[in-house]
Amino acid sequence: MKKSLSLFAGAALATAMASTAVADTFVFCSEASPEGFNPAFYTSGTTFDASSRTMFNRLVEFERGGTSVVPGLAESWEISEDGLTYTFNLREGVKFHARSDFRPSREFNAEDVVFSFERQMNPDHPFHGVSNQDYAYFGYMGMADAIDSISAPDDYTIVFNLSAPNATFLANLAMDFASIHSAEYADAMMDAGTPNQVDITPIGTGPFILAQYRKDSVIRYVRHNAYWEGAADIERLVFSITPDASVRYAKLRAGECHHMVYPNPSDVAAMQDDPNINVLSQPGLNVGYLAFNTNKAPFDNDLVRQALNIATNKEAILDAVYQGAGQVAKNPIPPTMWSYNENVVDYDYDPEYARQLLAEAGFEDGFETDIWAMPVQRPYNPNARRMAELIQADWAAVGVDAEIVSFEWGEYLERTQNGEHETMMLGWTGDNGDPDNFLNTLLGCQAAETGGNRAFWCDEEFNSLVDQALRTPVVEERTALYEEAQVVFKAAAPWITIAHSVVFEPVRPEVEGYVMSPFGSHSFYGVSLAD
Amino acid sequence: MTMTSETQTTVRMPQTPLAEFWSYFIQNRGALIGFCFIVFIVLLAIFANFVAPHHPHEQFRDFILVPPAWAEGGNAQFWLGTDGVGRDILSRLIHGARLSLLIGLVIVSVSLVLGICLGLIAGYFGGFADVAIMRFSDILLSMPALLLAIAIVAILGPSIVNSGLALSLVYLPHYVRLTRASVLTEINKDYVISSRVAGAGALRLMFIVILPNCLAPLIVQATLGFSNAILDMAALGFLGLGAQPPLPEWGSMLATAREFIQSAWWVVTFPGLIILVTVLAFNLMGDGLRDALDPKLKQ
Repeated sequence: MKKSLSLFAGAALATAMASTAVADTFVFCSEASPEGFNPAFYTSGTTFDASSRTMFNRLVEFERGGTSVVPGLAESWEISEDGLTYTFNLREGVKFHARSDFRPSREFNAEDVVFSFERQMNPDHPFHGVSNQDYAYFGYMGMADAIDSISAPDDYTIVFNLSAPNATFLANLAMDFASIHSAEYADAMMDAGTPNQVDITPIGTGPFILAQYRKDSVIRYVRHNAYWEGAADIERLVFSITPDASVRYAKLRAGECHHMVYPNPSDVAAMQDDPNINVLSQPGLNVGYLAFNTNKAPFDNDLVRQALNIATNKEAILDAVYQGAGQVAKNPIPPTMWSYNENVVDYDYDPEYARQLLAEAGFEDGFETDIWAMPVQRPYNPNARRMAELIQADWAAVGVDAEIVSFEWGEYLERTQNGEHETMMLGWTGDNGDPDNFLNTLLGCQAAETGGNRAFWCDEEFNSLVDQALRTPVVEERTALYEEAQVVFKAAAPWITIAHSVVFEPVRPEVEGYVMSPFGSHSFYGVSLAD
Repeated sequence: MTMTSETQTTVRMPQTPLAEFWSYFIQNRGALIGFCFIVFIVLLAIFANFVAPHHPHEQFRDFILVPPAWAEGGNAQFWLGTDGVGRDILSRLIHGARLSLLIGLVIVSVSLVLGICLGLIAGYFGGFADVAIMRFSDILLSMPALLLAIAIVAILGPSIVNSGLALSLVYLPHYVRLTRASVLTEINKDYVISSRVAGAGALRLMFIVILPNCLAPLIVQATLGFSNAILDMAALGFLGLGAQPPLPEWGSMLATAREFIQSAWWVVTFPGLIILVTVLAFNLMGDGLRDALDPKLKQ
């Protein structure tokens, strides 16, 4: 109670200052409330924007606007010959956030790194069960199996011992879940008897300090003046939570926010004509798909899945849902990613042939099923319900009657993870620029058990190819393996790969230095406001 | 000359109740307009298959978001334009009228019939039945109508039938109270007592002796309830709890069109307009009915 009070006192101060110097306040119109502020628990980009991208750093980082790995809290690293030992030399003089309710007594060191990973990895760690949440990404990425041990020979060295060579390990450490928390703060909260405060108002090393959060309304941050890369140009960062895209657009036009996420595709043309709005765009590192639940009949039958692939008119979806801003997908990875297989032949739209295949599979009269459509707008799918209506009409033409099902977003993710659907729509934006992050995370056998693989498709041939690629350090060999895996995927058709979208981010013209991230995240360090 | 003859007839022959009602009703201009519009909508709904230019589910993939015929870029094939997946808005509105009116009719009939039965029982028998029924309807009344409907639909699952059921339950208490109140004023009147003395049973007294004399306020309430039903149905559809796609229900049409509010006005405007006009028509007619049926307002 005491803590939250003083936090609000800080926030009140921040608001008071905001009124004196408005020009240094950057307002971001975000699309939803974050699930929480500890990025290790969650998987949504909304949460990462509000937590890991603003308040935290990782050992290594993705270069701004790119996918290559650059030093973060680790200044340099060495990888042993056998690929099993990673040694990181940590940066000195990195300061944690100082708030009125907690002032760190020491700088960042190896203890914080050990704490941040041990907490997720070790079920006996005193903080493992705090807040009673799963470590979602740590599990998805198979980190518990990958890491054998972590040790800190001295205050500024960290050694990871892996159980098997892992080509994506370094990139994984740049992902949001690997954010470094303050061990000292955790100890202090444990002593105070409020260990879960660590997840509610966390302390990190990032460029902004959390000042105030009101669910479904606003998140306020103040600048971290002692930030190791140099203090940010903007003094105060405000996330104005605005779920409706039309309202976000109206706010942006009125100058109430400087940057908005996920515009309606139908509004983009008007925004491009508006002199008061700059529309940034780039092909997203993403894929939107419809997954068949291969555990349920009739989708355990390859012919049915192929038939519905053939029955779906993707060009029409691209026009009506993406308003042409994207391209039809044939592979589960986007074309801008290495190892994309150009030679894969997509299923052509042909309702007659689809009927024929269905008849061959024993469904002359079609069947009834459901299409789960997510309720929210995502970069890879701007309007899932409209897409569902188009697919529903396409399938009806070949005799398959589909009912459209929708749930609240959290509920939707949970139920589909449990496999309650027959067919469902989802998508993915890459987290680390590696094909493994698509092919293994979304289609591997391990992901079929945890539910990350919403098709619950576990194909031995595909899985062994992807597994082998993960253990191979040579990029050329990995490319060949992934290309073959894409062919296997296309033949078995556990998904309808629908589209890779172009991501648009409208900003006000006074915003300078903003760079779009290929991962679809939003970070505001390095951004400034012109007068 | 004609004037005198007309006055003479009115003086000589007392009107039948129906003719009298009608003469009062048509004096109210608004009510008449409402009535005519409702007749028009009902005809549209009945003959939707012949009137609508296209099938409401047919997606013209080459004609997505075509503006209305008179606007720039419009197409004579689609009078009111097409929606986000290329369906003809006019056809959807016409077929939607069928859905909305039907569901309104079902909701009102279910709650009217149940409400009359419960109200008669409560008013006629009194005692424990009265207390039980009236407290139950008080509980229902104490909750906001739409919230209650949302809760019921959340339990039963979103569909047009379930939301109809939910709304019938929500409107039930209004009819129960109205019936009970009328029964209480009628039950001690001489004609009821004489029937009772003549040996009429409870059922006969309730349904044949008392009920016809309580009908007037119920008819008014039912007409006004019709517009509420259409409006709340649209609200549930808007929230995604009513009709499921691709059914052309007005509320859900409005909801799916929200994203075009700044770029394609016709997709949002027409469903909103038709809901407005229909509800207004029912309200006007309900007002007229009340005036015509209320003995206190008669000269």
